[in-house]
Formats: sequence, structure tokens, C-alpha cells
Amino acid sequence: MKTELLAPAGNLEKAKIALLYGADAVYIGGKQFSLRARASNFDLDTIEELINFAHGINKKVYVTMNIVFHDDDVFGLDEYLRFLDKLKVDAIICSSMVVVERAKAITDLEIHLSTQFSLTNSVLANYFYDEGIKRVVLARELSLEEIKEVQKQSKADLEVFIHGGMCVSYSGRCTLSNYTSLRDANRGGCAHTCRWLYDLYEGDELLSDNHDFQMSSKDLDATEFIKDLVETGVSSLKIEGRMKSIHYIATVVSAYRMLIDDYYHGSMRDLSFYQNEIKKAENRQTSHGFFKGDTTINEQLYNQRSEIPTKEFVGMVLDYDKIKKKVLIEQRNYFIPGDVLEIFTPDKTTIQFKVDKILSEELIELDAARHPLEKLLVSLNIEVPKFSLIRKVNYE
Amino acid sequence: MRLVARLKNLNEIEKLINLRVDCFLVDTPLAVRAINKDLFNHLDKIKSYGKDIYFLLNKMIHEDDIEAVKEILKIAQEIGVTGIVAGDITLMVLADEFGLKNKVIYQPGTMNTSSFDNEYFFLKQIKGITISKEITLEEIQKIFEIKKTELSLIGHGYLDMFYSKRKLISNYFIYKNTSKNNIIGNDRFRLKEEMRPDSFYPILEDEAGTHIFRDKALNSFDEFLELKKGLDDFFVERIFISDEEYYDSIAAYQDRDLVEGFLRKYHDNYNKGFYYQYTEKLKGDLNEN
Repeated sequence: MKTELLAPAGNLEKAKIALLYGADAVYIGGKQFSLRARASNFDLDTIEELINFAHGINKKVYVTMNIVFHDDDVFGLDEYLRFLDKLKVDAIICSSMVVVERAKAITDLEIHLSTQFSLTNSVLANYFYDEGIKRVVLARELSLEEIKEVQKQSKADLEVFIHGGMCVSYSGRCTLSNYTSLRDANRGGCAHTCRWLYDLYEGDELLSDNHDFQMSSKDLDATEFIKDLVETGVSSLKIEGRMKSIHYIATVVSAYRMLIDDYYHGSMRDLSFYQNEIKKAENRQTSHGFFKGDTTINEQLYNQRSEIPTKEFVGMVLDYDKIKKKVLIEQRNYFIPGDVLEIFTPDKTTIQFKVDKILSEELIELDAARHPLEKLLVSLNIEVPKFSLIRKVNYE
Repeated sequence: MRLVARLKNLNEIEKLINLRVDCFLVDTPLAVRAINKDLFNHLDKIKSYGKDIYFLLNKMIHEDDIEAVKEILKIAQEIGVTGIVAGDITLMVLADEFGLKNKVIYQPGTMNTSSFDNEYFFLKQIKGITISKEITLEEIQKIFEIKKTELSLIGHGYLDMFYSKRKLISNYFIYKNTSKNNIIGNDRFRLKEEMRPDSFYPILEDEAGTHIFRDKALNSFDEFLELKKGLDDFFVERIFISDEEYYDSIAAYQDRDLVEGFLRKYHDNYNKGFYYQYTEKLKGDLNEN
């Protein structure tokens, strides 16, 4: 069975983009019971719409219910689980045993164990498999060699994070945010206290300089390990980032889609090709995380926060008028006539063109595309599909 | 309710017995935030005092640790420990192979936050669970209401709030290109956050990674009688606390009349943690789980 590429989606548009750009499945959070509830625009109707869309193109939708439940959080759980079951959600992702047991008792839902549980060995993977959990998401602290060892022994399917942000602590074991900000890290309130700036003291002696003791980790980039992970037999490769933009999701999903497909077709390109594709989207600095074993300073962020994307996202294609040869764009960033733009389609085709004129929907000529979400018309001789993304090439 | 003290050395055993401690918590080779792992070589001596012994085995168990866990479980079987305090439920599965599942106390720090967790682990027939450190007294009382398995709480001391596999202090000195000795196990490091200049958070690096602790120790003197109604074990933590203060705290839990004097002497170091403090949900963003 081909290894699954699993993408995050904070709303319906992002979910559709992720699926169209190559994800085999998306994971979403509802407005309840999800660690990224704030990232969610998925009410029950939207979940239904997404499932119909995904199943219509033979793809899957997983729903995260990964908060650590307190007694008061259980209200409404059964009703929600029954609803997801009725919708034929492909799996739920959870970390509290109350969800696991209720889902087993009242639904036929497939259950995945969240990385929030920080599962680090095959003994536990097999325990949860015997408890009715089909898939476990491994802790991000595992090396490639450890993943191989777990895979060798595990009855449960394994899901491995390959790209995006990483908790500095073992996931689910941190209450820094609770204590410093009164925001519950394990119930969706994480204040990312681990990314704040600190001074280090030994006794009363200050050892650091100007708050330069930092714990932030670089984001994960596992392009280097995809071949090994696929050959190892893990079931799913997971991208992090339900809060990320559609451009980021399309770009990262598309790059990993190409990498996985190229591997299966025996036509892998140099890794720098895929890595450069990813760099076209906004990104923090990346590293291989724990894949090579214990982390070093190269996996930490010290005084540097962001990489500048190599290409700027300026809009999304809403429609194409074949007769007038005009593309209808929803603006996301500033561009002007004369700019060279690149259209990046879901089937990975790229088309470059120079912007001649920019027209409003009322056909008034504009000197610039200034307003986010404004609908604009631009001449283009080649038909491009809906959901194609547009980047500025001459970005500096 | 048993009062569980962490044992630091053999010389204090009689002192702790005189303080009417019921049980000694002893570091194993797979303890993190350990006090003294050497004690594991003196189990016969500790056992000779006739007190209950709990093993502390709270490391996250990676594939390479499994054989070492089994070795510790063999020793647990031989000496007849009363409990095995586990940070990872892998211990529950492995202990079952040794007929020791009913000795396991699941103490992940977080995760045990509801009545349902109590019921789940009751059905798994382990000894008990330690209630999570970030919940309120009211929530703790709700768990007591339908108590099934044994319940415990770390009710006193500096509680950890972060466990990373990353060697954050060692890496920092490498980044600074500064040589620094005595990092592993050094309990004198503290963090100060730029916006909270009055708070110093103890930070400890050990073989398993890096741990950060609350700036104030928790005390449960006022809540002790209420907690006694539902708890089977009350753990008194001692990391970053002097021996004298530790013994004084145990004495104060045993004798209410000593509490006022204790708080007068040490008051600035303590707070009430989350007993009366709700935390907000649903404001986060960024990292995915």
C-alpha cells in the first residue's frame, strides 16, 4: 500500500487546496475537542461538505479530538462522536482514553492516537492496537532508526511527522503555558512559552547575554528521509500546520507529493529540487529534528526566527473566461502591471506571464492590486484551473 | 493516606522514619529529575527498615530502554516493591510480564485529568494513578467522587512543567562557544523570562533531557484534610529544597501545629499552584498535535 501524505487544514478552503495539491488525506479540528479549535472553521455542516468533497475524489478526512479531557469537557462528546460516525469520517485522532472508549462503545469510527500522547516505542503501539486503535502518531522525538525498530515490531499502523513546527517538550507533557499564562497547553490554549526569551543563571550569576537563552526549535523538514520512511513501511507522512496559509499548504504538499511519487516511479530528483520548492512558501528555518538522533545547536533557533520565502503569494485563481481569455483572481498580496507572475496549478504545472493590465470586476483599470480578497481580472492566454495559486517571480 | 518521601541518602532513613513517613520513593536508573540514583545499589539496606518502597521510573521509554526497564522490573520483583511510579504507561504493559502490573502507579504529570482516567486505569488493574498537576482542587474533588483505583498527588515541592529530550543547557553553551563543566544534574541553573523579571524557574538537564520547574513550590497544608479524603498516596517532592526545609515540611504535614511556623520561615518560596486557578482553553495556535 502506498504511503499516505497527510496534510493539515484549518478551514474548508485549505482542506480543498491540500487535497487538490496532492494530499491523500487531511486532518481537521472541529470547534470542540480539538487542540487547534481556534484554527478551525469547521462546524458540523462544513465537516460534512468537506467529507463529501474528499470522498468524491477518493481521499480521506480525519478529525482531531486531541485535547486532554477534564471532567467538564466531556459534555456533548457522545453526540459529536455519533455525528462524525454518521458522516463517515475516516478516523478520529485523540489522546484521552475517554474519547477512545466512547468511540469504541458507540461508533464504528477508526481511531488514531495523537502525538499528544508522545508514543515512543513498539510495546505501547501494540498495547494501543490491542485496545482498538488502528494507527498511532509517533512522538517527534524518535530517530529514523527508532522509527524503523518500532515499525518492525508494531501491529499498529504508524504515522510520522515530516514537516512543520515542533514542540520543544515531549508533546502532552508540558504545562509551561498553563503556569506562566494560565492558558492550558493541553486543551488548545498553548501560549508557546518555550519560544519566549530567557536569561540563564547559575545561582545568582547571570550566564546569558541579553535574553539569548532560547529553546525554540527549527521547524522539521524530512525531505532527506522520505525514501527511508517509505521503505520502512510507515503508513502515513504528516505535515504540521493547521494555521498555515493556503500558499504554504499548497507548496509544501505539492513538494512532498512530487517527492513521494517520484520515489515510487523510480525517478527521484536531487533533494535540493524538492527543498527549493518548499522554500517558495513562507517558512521558519528548518532542520531534520530528531531523525538523526539527539538534537544539536543546528536544530535550535537562536536569535533568528524566519526565512524569507523565495516567492511571494499574490493571489488565487477563481475562474477562467475562455472567450475573453481573462483569469479571475482573488488578491492576497500587492502586485502591479509589469510584474512577472507564476501560476502554480494543482497538477504541478507552472506558467509564467507578465501582467499587462489589472481590471476590477467592474472592468475599471487599476494601477495596482492593493486590497486583500479583491476580485481582479488579468489577461492570460492559457486556461488555468480554479484553485491555482499565483506567485510573484521578481520578489526580492 | 500514605505519605511518600523521596529518599536522598541512607543516612536520613531513620530521620524520615521518625517523621512518620510511610513510604520511600527511590530513584531507579531510569528515573528522570533524579535525586540520587546510587540508592538503587542499596535496596537491601533500605528494605531492612521495613518501610514500603516505591521505585521511580519516570523516563519516557524509548525502544532502547525496554531491556533496562525489564532489568529494573526483575529487581522490583526480587525485593518486593510496593509500587512502581511510572511516567509512561509502557511500564504497565511491561510490568504485566512480571506479574507486577498491580504495582504500577501511572504518574505522567499531565494526562490524568478526569474521573474517566481513574476508571480506565481501574479496569486495567494497575495500583493507581497520580492526578495531574495542572487541575484545580474542585476538579480533584470531582475525581474523588467516583473514585475507583488508588489516587495519589504530588502535593508539595517544586513541580516540573516541561520535559524535553533536547539538551537545552549543553546546546546553549555550545552555541555560545563557551566551555562549561558540571551541567548534567546541576540543580543551580535557573531561567528568568524577559517580561517576568521577578520569577526564576529552575531548569535541570539530566541524561534524559531538560526539565523546567515552577518558580514557586506547591504547598497543600490548607487542603491536606480535604485531600486526605480521596488520596491513597501524598508525594512530598524535594528537588531544589534543602534537607532541613524538606524535613520541616513533612513534619508540618504530620502535625498541623507546625504549619504556621513552617510558612513563617519559608513562605516566600510557596504558592498554591492550580488548586484555585483555572486555566483558559482554546487560545493557542502554531504547533500541531
